[in-house]
Amino acid sequence: MSGASDGLIACLLLAGITGLLVVVTRDPCRQVYALAGNGLVLGLLFLALEAPDVALSEIAVGTAVTPFLFLATLAAIATDRAQR
Amino acid sequence: MTPRSRLVLLALAALILVPAIVRIALVLPGFGAPTALYGQTVNALLPDLRHVTNMVAAVNFDVRGIDTLGEEFMLLCAVTGATVLLRGARGERGNLRAGHISGRPVLARADATTLVCRIAASVTMLFGISVALHGMTTPGGGFQGGVIAASGLLLLYLGEGYAVWRALMRGPILALLEGGGALLFVLCAAGPLVAGRPALENVLPLGDLKDLYSGGLMVGVNAAVALAVAGGFGLLLLEFMEETRVPADDPAPEEAEP
Repeated sequence: MSGASDGLIACLLLAGITGLLVVVTRDPCRQVYALAGNGLVLGLLFLALEAPDVALSEIAVGTAVTPFLFLATLAAIATDRAQR
Repeated sequence: MTPRSRLVLLALAALILVPAIVRIALVLPGFGAPTALYGQTVNALLPDLRHVTNMVAAVNFDVRGIDTLGEEFMLLCAVTGATVLLRGARGERGNLRAGHISGRPVLARADATTLVCRIAASVTMLFGISVALHGMTTPGGGFQGGVIAASGLLLLYLGEGYAVWRALMRGPILALLEGGGALLFVLCAAGPLVAGRPALENVLPLGDLKDLYSGGLMVGVNAAVALAVAGGFGLLLLEFMEETRVPADDPAPEEAEP
């Protein structure tokens, strides 16, 4: 591991931990927020790896847009069930 | 499949795969070692050839522009498919009321939330436009800028609530952005063909290095991608959000029985 700074190692560890949290979370609604946290950590990891353009798209897509699409889907399912 | 047989299968798979993975991991170049010949060649040649400082943009929009054209149309197809599927089950007419589960309290938004979200949404969208505009000089570009601008729409929803957000978002305008961006990309690709040159050949003046206008035709392609991505993601957000509204009075037409 030549050239790996402390921040990079911390980001890698955090990425592993948050990824594990996404898997072990059972409630879909909480899982969405775990996924958003994982996206944010991945964005920071890309930033630490000197890929700021990838970090920008990862933070926008992985932290904002994808979790929102999941939340909207969960809300649609919940309102649909409530009407039946 | 019982848990026991799953574990047996896992052990068998690990027995075969782990030695291969370890062997490959041991011969990989060191972490962070810049050994990719392609990247070094691009870094050495492209600033002089294309007058841009963002090598990722130069590769995406010029050197391998045709690949990006394909990706652009994958995005267009995906967004169109999602829109058609969702609208097909829901009908076209809108409704400004958000759906609500009975018995769940509806909390009014604090003024502070609305204010913070309005400011943050404006700043986010401006940042997205800036990232897209500076695609030739700094990291980022059309895709990143478009996605950031579209995610600003989410902040707008957070601050304003469903009814105002739905009244602000115009589906046809977002669709026009998406389709117009794709059309602009095709025009950029086909323009040189008309002049008897290869598709996407950089026929425009290249401009100056580190200038806002640099890279010639890449500026047009970058703008096309920014428009298409912002419109496409905005349309996707709108269609998913529409799924949570109170159903309108017109139920979607039932599919005809064969």
